[in-house]
Amino acid sequence: MSAGYRQQPGNRSSKRTDGKRVAGKQVFPPPGSGGSRPVMKERDLDFIPESVGGKEPQPAGSHIHDRIRTGTVVGKSLSLVDSNAKVTGQAWYGDDVRLPNETIGKILRSPHHYAKIKSIDTSRVEALPGVISVATGQDAANSFGVLPVTKDEHAMAVEKVRHMGDLVACVCAETEAIAIEALSLFDIEWEVLEPVFDRKMGLEDVDEPIHWRGKYHLSRTNVQKRVFQEFGDRSLVDNPHAASHGKWSMEGVHHGFTEPHAVVAHWDPNGRLQLYTPQQVPHYTHRALSTVLDVPMHQINVIRTFVGGGFGGKSDPFPHEMCAAILSRKSGRPVRITFDREEVYWINRGRHPSDIEVKMTADDVGRISGFDIDALIDGGGFASFGHVTSYYNGVLATAPYELGSFHYTGARVWTNKPASGAMRGHGAVNTRCAVEVGLDEMAEQMAVDPIDLRLANLLPPHSRTITGFRITSNGMREALEEVRDGSKWDEKFRQLPLGKGIGVGCGFFISGSGLPIHWDPNRFPHATVHIQVDMDGGVTVHTGAADIGQGSTTAVAQVVAEVLALPIEMIHVRSHESDTAPVDLGSYSSRVTFMNANAAIRAALEIREQILNAAWDILGYHPNTLVLNDRRIYYKHDPSIGVSYLKALHKAQEDKGSLIASGAYRSPPMGGVHKGAAAGLAPAYSFSAYVAEVDVDVELGLVKCTNVWAAHDCGKALNPLAVKGQIIGSCHMGLGQVLSEKMVYGRTGHLQNANLLEYKIPSVHEMPHVVPIIIESCDPEGPFGAKEAGEGPLLPILPAVVNAVYDAVGVRFRDLPLTPDIVYKGIERKRKSLKLDDCLELPNPRLEHGPMQEVLVARANEHKTRDKARQRTEDTSHYVNGVLFGFDPNIPLEDQVDGWRMATEPDPEQLAELGLAGKAWLKKTQREMGRDD
Amino acid sequence: MLMPPFTLHHPNTVDEAVGIASQLLEQQEDFDWVAGGTDVVPNYKWRINPKPHVISLANIPEANQISQYEIGCMTKLSQLTTENKVHPLIVEAASKIASSLVRKSATVGGNLCLDTRCFWYNQSEDWRRSIDWCHKADCGTGADCRVIPNQNTLCVATYQGDLAPNFMALGAKVSLIGPDGERTILLEDFYQLDGMKKNVLQPGEFMLKVSLPADAFEYDGSYQKLRLRESWDFPEAGISAVWKKGDYSTLKIASTALESIPKTHDSQVGEFASSWQNGTTISQLSDAIRKSVKPVNNTALPPNYRKSVVRILTKRALKNIGCE
Repeated sequence: MSAGYRQQPGNRSSKRTDGKRVAGKQVFPPPGSGGSRPVMKERDLDFIPESVGGKEPQPAGSHIHDRIRTGTVVGKSLSLVDSNAKVTGQAWYGDDVRLPNETIGKILRSPHHYAKIKSIDTSRVEALPGVISVATGQDAANSFGVLPVTKDEHAMAVEKVRHMGDLVACVCAETEAIAIEALSLFDIEWEVLEPVFDRKMGLEDVDEPIHWRGKYHLSRTNVQKRVFQEFGDRSLVDNPHAASHGKWSMEGVHHGFTEPHAVVAHWDPNGRLQLYTPQQVPHYTHRALSTVLDVPMHQINVIRTFVGGGFGGKSDPFPHEMCAAILSRKSGRPVRITFDREEVYWINRGRHPSDIEVKMTADDVGRISGFDIDALIDGGGFASFGHVTSYYNGVLATAPYELGSFHYTGARVWTNKPASGAMRGHGAVNTRCAVEVGLDEMAEQMAVDPIDLRLANLLPPHSRTITGFRITSNGMREALEEVRDGSKWDEKFRQLPLGKGIGVGCGFFISGSGLPIHWDPNRFPHATVHIQVDMDGGVTVHTGAADIGQGSTTAVAQVVAEVLALPIEMIHVRSHESDTAPVDLGSYSSRVTFMNANAAIRAALEIREQILNAAWDILGYHPNTLVLNDRRIYYKHDPSIGVSYLKALHKAQEDKGSLIASGAYRSPPMGGVHKGAAAGLAPAYSFSAYVAEVDVDVELGLVKCTNVWAAHDCGKALNPLAVKGQIIGSCHMGLGQVLSEKMVYGRTGHLQNANLLEYKIPSVHEMPHVVPIIIESCDPEGPFGAKEAGEGPLLPILPAVVNAVYDAVGVRFRDLPLTPDIVYKGIERKRKSLKLDDCLELPNPRLEHGPMQEVLVARANEHKTRDKARQRTEDTSHYVNGVLFGFDPNIPLEDQVDGWRMATEPDPEQLAELGLAGKAWLKKTQREMGRDD
Repeated sequence: MLMPPFTLHHPNTVDEAVGIASQLLEQQEDFDWVAGGTDVVPNYKWRINPKPHVISLANIPEANQISQYEIGCMTKLSQLTTENKVHPLIVEAASKIASSLVRKSATVGGNLCLDTRCFWYNQSEDWRRSIDWCHKADCGTGADCRVIPNQNTLCVATYQGDLAPNFMALGAKVSLIGPDGERTILLEDFYQLDGMKKNVLQPGEFMLKVSLPADAFEYDGSYQKLRLRESWDFPEAGISAVWKKGDYSTLKIASTALESIPKTHDSQVGEFASSWQNGTTISQLSDAIRKSVKPVNNTALPPNYRKSVVRILTKRALKNIGCE
C-alpha cells in the first residue's frame, strides 16, 4: 500500500484528542475496531431483559429470545437505515432509473367502460418516425394474477377491456412526445358492451359477465367470490337484551402514495430480463413475468427500487411491468414507463367500495351473543387480492371479543371500474368500523360505558377465536386502559358540550398471513435470510423483504446487530435484487418484521455460534460462559479475559473464509380445517384501541378530529420511533377514509377525481394531535416478541371518529366518508324530527349508568386477573371462544350443545333470510346447473 | 405529464405586451396570458385548451406594483398577506387561498381571471375524450354540456376564485389594457355569465391592476370560505360581507364558487338593510342570499349542500363584522 493511502476520508490529523496512538499509517482498522466507535461500549443493561439479568422490565413475561439480547439496538429508537438516502434525495425510485439508450413507453388505455376489441390496426403507429416498438394483447396471451386461484389479468386486453383506463396496447419511442403522439394513431374497432357499475347489479345475471370462470361461474352473474360462515350457538341471539343493526355504505379509497408506478425493463446482453420496479412483492412480479413472457424465472432479475409508498397498492404484479418487458424484448432497448397520477388511480387496487350490514346482539349479562355480518364488496374489473378480501371482511371481525355466535355472508362482484385490491388494513377496516360503532350503540342501549362493555368481553391471551384462529399474546385490555386514562375518558365521555365529542374504537389484525399462497407451508418456509460475514467484519444480510418505507430493512439490520452485538452501521442489508435475495413473499399482510426478522435471527444465531466457538478455541472458555458485547467477546466472570470480535471472526474463518449462514421462518401448524379456514390465519395478531376527540361544526357539518390517543399492541417495539411513525401515519390514512377521501364515480361511471387535488387526502391542518402509546405484550413467536405495527393501527381510528361524532351531535352516521354534506344532512334530519328551530339547540347524548354497568365492571376486573396470568403463562389452561358462555374448553363445542354450528355453506332454509351479499347464494354454479364448459 | 409545446413571450413593457398580442391576433394565432401559472400550467399539462403562444406578464413593471389602493396583477398572493398596507379583508381572503406554496407563485390577476372549473372539464385529455368532450373544451365536436345535458348554449363551470367577492364588495375597479387602449371598470362588471366567456376581456386584452376606492379602508369585512381541507382546496362556497361599521346602508355582500361568476347581492341586501331589526333580519337576509344562488353539480361537494350553507356562511360573515 502506498504511504498516502487512507482507508477512510477525513481525520488526517496526526493527533487524537484521547491521546491514544494514531491508527494513521495503518491501512485497515485494527482488529475489533469495526464501526465508528473506537472502544467497546458498556453493556446497556437498560435494554437487556430482567429475565437474563438486565434492567428492561418485562410485565408481559419473558421471551425465548431474551438470552440472545445484547442490549445493542433492540428497543431503541433509531432513524431508519435508509433515511439518509431519502432525506438527501439520493434514494432511487422507479423513475430515477436511467439506462443508456432508453426508450419511453406509453400505454394506450380504454376509452370505454366495457367493450370488445374487434380489431387493432397498428400500422399508422409503426409508421411514425421515432416509434421503436408496438405491442398489443396478442403479444402476451398468458394470464396472470396476484393470487394463483384468480389469474384473470393480461398484460394488455386480449379480447375485451373491462374498465375505462384498462390497458389496450403500448408503444415505446425515442421521446415521450413521440410516444404520446403515437397513442393517437391506433385504429381500433370496438364493440361497446353494457357496463355494470352498481355493485348490487353485480349479483344479477347478465348477457356478458365481465369474466367467465367456466363451470365454476356463478350462473351468469358478476360474482367473483362468495363466502358463507356460521359458527357458534345461534340460539343465543334470540331475545336479546340489546341489539344494534346498521347498514353501511362505504366509498372506495385509494392508497394515495407519493410515487406513481414506474418501471424500467431491459434485456441484458446475456438475454436476461432486468426489471426495475418499485414493488412491495417483487417475487410475485417475478413469477408473473415468467408466466407472461414464457421465460424461466432464473432468466429474470427483478430489481426492487426504493418504493415511494405502497400501502398495498404496489403489491400486485402489474400489467405495465409486463408491457415494459415486452416492449424491451421487441426493441432490444431499455424501456421506461412512468405513470401519470390518473393512471395510478386507474390501476387502483384500493379499498373496496362496500355495503356492509351488521346486526349484533347482547344478552342479559352484557355478553355479545352474536355478530351477523353481510358484506357486498365492489371488486372493479379484476380479482386482484379480492378472494382474500371477501373472507377478511368477515373473519377479521371475530376478535378481540368473545362471541356467542358468528354469521357472515360476503360477496365480491366484478364491476366495470378500476380494480379494488389490498390496502393497509386489508379487508378488515370497513367491517371493523361497522362492528365498533354497533358496540357503541349497544352500550348506549344498555346504559353502560362502551369501554367497559369491551373490557368485559375480551378474549384472553392464548386462546382461540370462534372460527379457530390461534391468539397468542394479546395486549387489548392494556391498550383500552391506556387510552381511557390518557384521554381522561371518564371525565369527558357523554359530558362534553354540543359539537364536541369523544369516541372509542378497537382493532385486531393479522401479523403475517399464515399460509404462503404459492407453496405448501409444511415443505417450504415463509421467509429465508442469508448472512455473509467477510474478513473485514462487516455483515451482509441478503433478504427479499421489500422495504416500502415501513422500515423492514432497518428491522432486519437491527435484529442481526442485536444478536451479533455489532454497531448497526456494520450491518449491510441487500434486498433489492431477486438475483441475490432469497425468495421472499414480500411486504403484505404485515408479515415482514415477524417473518423476516425471525429468519434473520436464525441466520444470525448460526454466525454467532461460529464466532463463539472460535472464541472458545482462543480463550478456552465454553460459549455458555462468554458474553457477546460490542465487538468483543469476554469471559462472563472476568471481563479482562476476552477477544475482539474480529480476532474471533478470523479464527472462525480459518480454512473456510467468509462465514455464511441461512435462516428461515415457518409458521407452526394452526387453524381449523373448514373451507376458508386459512383466511385470516396468522402466527400472531396485533391489537389496538384508540380514543378520538372531535370538534363538529354543527351548522356546517364539518368534522375536525383534534386529538387521538392511539394504543397499539405490537408485541415488542424493536424500534419505538418506527412504531410511533406507523401509528401516526395510520391515523392520517384512516382519517382520510373516515372524513374526506373517496373515489367518486359520476353518473357515467367515470372516475371523477383521479388527481390529488380532488381526491381529498387530509392535509397537515386536518391532522389531530396524536399520542402514540406502545403496548408490549411480548409475543412468544415474534422476533424478540414483536408483532406487526404497520396496518393494525389504522383500524380503530375510523370507528373512534364515528363514535366521537355521535357523542358530539347525537347522530349515528353510517355512510363513509363523513363529508360535511352527509353530516349536515344527518343533523338537519335530527333537528327536524325534534322540531327545533336551530341545530345549535340539539340535545347531545348523555349517559347515566344502568344496572348492567356494575355487572360489566365486575366481570372486566375478574378477567383482568385472568388475562394477566395467561399472558405471563402462569395459567396455561386451554381457552376457546365460548368459555364465557359456560362451555368447557376441553371438550369440542359441538359435543356440548346441539345447535353448535360450524358451517361454510348455508342450509336451504336459511337462503331466504340472507343479507344483500348473501343473495349470491341463491345462484347456482354452471357446474351445478349441469354445464361443464 | 408532458407539457404541450408552446412559444413563451416575455414582454418588458405594457406596450410590448400589447404589441405581441396584436401581432398574434393579426396572424390569427391563439395565445394565453400567464401570470403565476398555477392555473394555466396544470391546465396545459392536462391539455385543456392549450395555445401555441403564451405571453408572460412577469416582467412588466406596472403589473408588479403594489400600493394601498392599487395592486398590480402580478402581485403574488403571499405578498398580499405580508405587506402591511393591504386591506385586512384582502389579507384574510388571500391567506385562505390554496396552500402556502401555491400562494408564492399565484397572483392577484391570475386569481381574478381564474378559469372556471368543473368535474367534467378539469380532466386529462384521455378522460375528456372518453366522455366525447364537453361544451367548454369540445375540440371542434360541438359537444353538449355534461353537467346539465341537452343544452349546449351555456357553460356552467364554476368560478372558484377567492379574491373576487372581496374586491367586489369593497367596490374595486380593474384596469384592462389591450390593443384598443386602457379601460377601467368595476370588478363586478368584469365577470360575464357563462363559464366559457367568464369575463369581458376582449381578444388581446389583459388585466393590469386592481384598484380600491378611496373609502375602502373605512369598510370592515369578513370572508367565509367553505372547503373540505384547510389547505389546497378551492372554495366550495364563499361569502364576503363588508360595511362601514354601524351604517346598514353601506352593507354589501358578494359570493363566489356558487355559479360561473362571482356576484354581488345588492338587491337582497337592499331589501333588508333599510329596515334592519336586530336578531331577525340577519336570518331573513341570509336566507334570501341562499335562495339567490344556483350551484350545480360539478365540484367536490353536492350543490344542494353548498346552497344550504350559504345561509350559514352569510350569517357568520355578518356576525363577524358586527352586523347582527
